[in-house]
Amino acid sequence: MRRGSELRSSLVTLLMLLPGLAGFFGLFFYPMMVTVVRSLRPEGQQVGWTLEHYITFLREPRAREVIVLTFVLSISSTLCSILFSVPLCLVLRQKLRGHRFFRLTMLIPRVVPGLIGALGLLLLFGSRGWVNLFLIQFVPFIDEPVRINYTIPGLILFYTWLYFPFTSVTTLSTLESLDPSIEEAADVAGANRWQVLRHIVIPLIMPGILAGSVLTFMAAFGAFSIPLVAGGNYRPLSVEIYRQIDFTPARWSAASARAMIMAALQVAFLTVYMRILRRPTV
Amino acid sequence: MKLLRPYFKAVVNARKLLVYTFLLCFALLIYMPFLMIALKSIGRGWFGRLWLPPELTLDWYRWAVEVTNIPEITKNTLIIAALAVAMSTLIGIPTGWAFGRRKIPGKELLMSMILLPRMIPPIAYALGVAQIFYRLHLINTHFGVALAHVAICAPYAILVLSATFEGLDERVLEAAAVCGANPLRTFFHVILPLILPGILSSMIFTFTTSYNEFTLTLMTYGKDTITLPVRTYIAMGEGYWEVTSAMSIILVIPSLIVLFMIQRQVAPEKLVGGFKGV
Repeated sequence: MRRGSELRSSLVTLLMLLPGLAGFFGLFFYPMMVTVVRSLRPEGQQVGWTLEHYITFLREPRAREVIVLTFVLSISSTLCSILFSVPLCLVLRQKLRGHRFFRLTMLIPRVVPGLIGALGLLLLFGSRGWVNLFLIQFVPFIDEPVRINYTIPGLILFYTWLYFPFTSVTTLSTLESLDPSIEEAADVAGANRWQVLRHIVIPLIMPGILAGSVLTFMAAFGAFSIPLVAGGNYRPLSVEIYRQIDFTPARWSAASARAMIMAALQVAFLTVYMRILRRPTV
Repeated sequence: MKLLRPYFKAVVNARKLLVYTFLLCFALLIYMPFLMIALKSIGRGWFGRLWLPPELTLDWYRWAVEVTNIPEITKNTLIIAALAVAMSTLIGIPTGWAFGRRKIPGKELLMSMILLPRMIPPIAYALGVAQIFYRLHLINTHFGVALAHVAICAPYAILVLSATFEGLDERVLEAAAVCGANPLRTFFHVILPLILPGILSSMIFTFTTSYNEFTLTLMTYGKDTITLPVRTYIAMGEGYWEVTSAMSIILVIPSLIVLFMIQRQVAPEKLVGGFKGV
């Protein structure tokens, strides 16, 4: 009797899990498998196996450029977000007047579509945008508009603008769950503010910073809309994939092979990153 | 010592000034792009080294509405978002319940598996989704585009709802039973009011996700199911920056309203993170 009810209970659990699992397998796992199979088929055919799409792409001299560009953009924007988020969170933590407003401001890049962000940034940093007007009028020795759009530093800036909230929100929540008595103890023990920050606060919030930066990295690595409209001649992997199917005849197999390379690179990088992350800090 | 006090005060004030300057720069950096878009969308003849547009006009909005058929596109976007929200909620409630209230072997692993679509770049599985949908003739249908959105919305719904169900206190349910409420009554008068905020917040999150989704839409849309983000992208390619700006403003206002509306009810931080310890 008891066994029967247990069985029934686990059956109910399974039944309830079913929609989620169906969604996962139908809309993620199966498409991934289709992509894998497609990448191994000759172009436009349903039979036969080949590795040519991987080989031709990796043999192209541009392939290395594309992959390096993707990593350069995602890693440097991750670093920039960390460098920007930590001071911001330390300031926001003090709960100055109006801190709620700034907290909300922090989330804005995440709730608006990336396209709109890209459009606004292109306008702001364009040769007729406010940033260049400001530089020309108020900074000596700059008479010509500085080229920011469609350059690598510009792209890093755009990526950082769009993806820093992942890092800053995680950092802020770690910072706020910190026990204030630890810092007080350090203070009583005679450490000055800088020492408290350097030896107590930063090491303690490091796991939060790293966890947030992983999210920023993943988002930046897979970024699609920003490089699509603001990349110019610089095409990271995601845009490179889209270019394969953008024109007719669409090269689905070539696109799938690139997508698999992208996913593999991301998983490989994340594995390395997680290893570093698991290491005790300091 | 007394002499030093004004000096200390000045230092403290300077610190404060520095902090506020930093915050101001941060806010400017975030808001200025939108201000530029807004000005671009209402300005005429804004060329050369001018800080502000010389003439104001609403023509670009008229253009956006007439030429690019914004009302129809908005309707598409809303239908797709509503379908995506409905499907994700229907998936999220039972699965979230199972995650929140039942013992499942390997729960953590299963949860990270469910969250995988949010970690792998969408373009990787969007390719597969597009090919499957071509075969099933789901391309260019509202249902198809919404289904593609569910791939990325459902993990959100499951995550938020499992936290909601986990937070449901067993003692409250027992108290209801002790007081003589039958299961139906318990459900409507006790459980529903307790989980309603969670369901609402999951619906809001999935709505904004679907409303803003670009990659998956781009792979599955057709001429009858153009959504606002895709239309904005097309307009950007056409090079009419003023009209694009007007459309962007139309697109972005609902997201901002939602953000300011929900910030007090639910922690908007959830919009960003959601992974526990990654």
